[in-house]
Amino acid sequence: MSDHPTPPRAGSWPRPQATPRIESLLRIESDGTVVALSGKVEYGQGIRTGFRRIVAETLDLPLDQVRVVLGETASTPWDMGTFGSMSTMTDGRALRAAAWFARQQLLVRAAARFGVAIEALSFGAGQVFAPDGRAVSFAELVRDQPLAGDLPEAPPRAAPPATDSPMRQEAMDIVTGRAKYAIDVRLPGMLHGSILHPPTLGARLESLDPAAAEKVRGVVQVVRDGDFVGVVAERALLARTAAALLKATWTAGAPRSGGQDIVLESDPEAEEAFRGAARVLKAEYFVPHVSNASLGPSAGTADVRPDGADLYTATQRPFPLRDEVAQTLGVPKEKVRVWPQLVGGSYGKNGAHDAALAAVRLSKAVGRPVQVAWSRAEEFRANTHRPELRGELEAGLDGDGRLSAWRYHSWTNPHTYGEAGRMPERLIVATSGRGAVPEYRLGKADIQLHLRPGKVRTGALRSLAAAPNTFAIESFIDELAEAAGTDPIDFRLAHLDDERLRGVLRAARELSGWDARPPEPGRALGVACAAYHGTYVAEVVEARARAGGRVRVGRVWCAVDAGHLVHPDGARNQVEGAVTQALSWALFESLAHEDGRVLASSFADYPIATARDAPEAIEVTFIGRDEVPPTGVGEPGAVPFAAALANAVYRACGVRVRELPLRT
Amino acid sequence: MRYTLHVNGRPHEVEAAPEAPLLSVLRDELGLTGAHYGCGQGVCGACTVLVGGKAVPSCTMRVAEAAGREIVTIEGLPPAEGRLHPVQAAFVREDAMQCGYCTPGMIVASVALLSHSPHPDEEEIRDALVPHLCRCGTYGRAIRAVQAAAREMATREEGAA
Ligand code: FES
Ligand code: FES
Repeated sequence: MSDHPTPPRAGSWPRPQATPRIESLLRIESDGTVVALSGKVEYGQGIRTGFRRIVAETLDLPLDQVRVVLGETASTPWDMGTFGSMSTMTDGRALRAAAWFARQQLLVRAAARFGVAIEALSFGAGQVFAPDGRAVSFAELVRDQPLAGDLPEAPPRAAPPATDSPMRQEAMDIVTGRAKYAIDVRLPGMLHGSILHPPTLGARLESLDPAAAEKVRGVVQVVRDGDFVGVVAERALLARTAAALLKATWTAGAPRSGGQDIVLESDPEAEEAFRGAARVLKAEYFVPHVSNASLGPSAGTADVRPDGADLYTATQRPFPLRDEVAQTLGVPKEKVRVWPQLVGGSYGKNGAHDAALAAVRLSKAVGRPVQVAWSRAEEFRANTHRPELRGELEAGLDGDGRLSAWRYHSWTNPHTYGEAGRMPERLIVATSGRGAVPEYRLGKADIQLHLRPGKVRTGALRSLAAAPNTFAIESFIDELAEAAGTDPIDFRLAHLDDERLRGVLRAARELSGWDARPPEPGRALGVACAAYHGTYVAEVVEARARAGGRVRVGRVWCAVDAGHLVHPDGARNQVEGAVTQALSWALFESLAHEDGRVLASSFADYPIATARDAPEAIEVTFIGRDEVPPTGVGEPGAVPFAAALANAVYRACGVRVRELPLRT
Repeated sequence: MRYTLHVNGRPHEVEAAPEAPLLSVLRDELGLTGAHYGCGQGVCGACTVLVGGKAVPSCTMRVAEAAGREIVTIEGLPPAEGRLHPVQAAFVREDAMQCGYCTPGMIVASVALLSHSPHPDEEEIRDALVPHLCRCGTYGRAIRAVQAAAREMATREEGAA
């Protein structure tokens, strides 16, 4: 859900850069529908519902009178992209300000019309009422004079009552099969394209023999442009079949080397603290590459004309994509329109931009609309994968069992766009360094980040480096707690000042009945926690495990503090999903590769968790306060899971797992 | 080759190669895009439809095999246009979806399950959903939705009896 580097300051409301005007965010149509515009996109995280609800609440409207337009570059305000569970925070705030301003304007106009004081007016169901019962609709109030003007700050909201979550607008379309995903786009005269991917990162095309592919009936053209090769055909399967017949030879790219080493914390007294420690523990943890493995393949459809282009794809960054395409085509930005489509799962980087850009090149070459949709094998081979991580940990405990010295060296690859050796340090820290510095009082610390190129193409996956770093650190914390002879939750609390993190730990302890359920052979609870972009989460996981046997997850308890919740059941759904996905990473996933070639081509060679593996139950409790601005919930739930599970496994069967996927 | 496909209660004449996957014909010829392509290899369940009342992956079924048999897709689940099957309604109520890409397949499989086993226990439901991968992790909710639908259908039966 995130491939953007810049973390928000924890718990602060990000401020819009320039004063926005209401026209760019909200308008009232002649049938009374309130249209809210946002440059953000929906990819299953429920922002459409969240935004709709914010606007409806502020204007006292029924939900079905609000329509939310997301990410269409032709009509919505410019936006850098939808990442990191931040959408509700930034755009939700802007839309609330717009709705609040609309409310003020409507009141002023109604007061003038009825000749009464503003305070005497009331609102309801898209109308404004005078005390004597006269009513005027929103539509009537803006008929001759649309809403306009700079937006003032909205006053802080009073904590709204907990309400049942509204039904997601998309839900009805999804269950009836009417929902249209990027791969479902059909344009008149549309052709299908299939791309030849280089076998390894950076490989160059040496020769190409297209003869066999060109002979396939229904093939329109084989397009070659430098190292880019694609087949355009009348049907998707034909294009794919023909692409498989292309005879290409490749030269391997230059081996990628070099890297960047960044010191995150370096206490000059760290070495001395290690020497003086009563006990020193050392361990190394490893997390393999995992695949994003969205169920819906990356797809894009382009209609390139001499004067501009329309592009239909699932994207988290419609505006940057528009700019990139405009630049490639050499046309002004406004001539390119991006129409975001539903996406079949997006947890960071997906290949949609690659597919969309390929569609642009092919459409330009053949002069007709072209759709490029990746096959499952292409998804595994050509998409980005989460970096590997090796975490070297060392810690010293003093005579009272408290941390006195800490060392963490994390070896990993880029978690976002960029190449190891050439990335801005700030970007590396915010992505590959995410979660590398825990909240604990660590004593004298030496924390370093070593960025190296990945052997396969790497990129963002849900929470970036936070989940791998937290697996290493939070597992090690349990090792330390044991060495100190302290209960794992007590050990954490003894080293934490942050009240919100302490709060979720205590809540998880209570919710899970931690103190009443000590480990027994073959079955135990484990705990881990994390602070992630202003959201705090603690998880307790029940594992059933025996040395050498299968690990099963029983119940999972999550305590989350994400401030005020806009859409409680949607938030719960996100946390449950994050836990289930993290369970899949932890128990099953490791991307096989050889000399930079990805070997997996199917879910048969890359199993993910099924309904059989999902936890018996996931109990989520939110303890955030309504006065605290909302923070994201889509990613944090995935962060502490692997460590909580590994800690439970250790307590159940005595096997300390330091490498994922988890085996006893 | 020409084939007659009986889809959602109506016959359709289609022109297709015998080895063409049923999924491609449904999506590209009949415009029924509710069955989704997730793998094309018969292992993710996103393309599931009912053929002769059984839930099958339509990506590995050849059109020649499907011809002449009763095919029901997510778009054609009873009772009828504009009304939801109790399983669909339960998935909405439980919000048993995120991106929704796997959801039609899960719903179709659950309809098949409840038609031959109206009172499944949780284990049976999990087993029926195993062929349906959900990367968003909505399994828990899907299981609850199927349980709710089973209860709802049982109550309706009683009411009708
Ligand atoms: S698309 Fe048919 S099983 Fe995956
Ligand atoms: S809801 Fe996204 S794959 Fe299941």
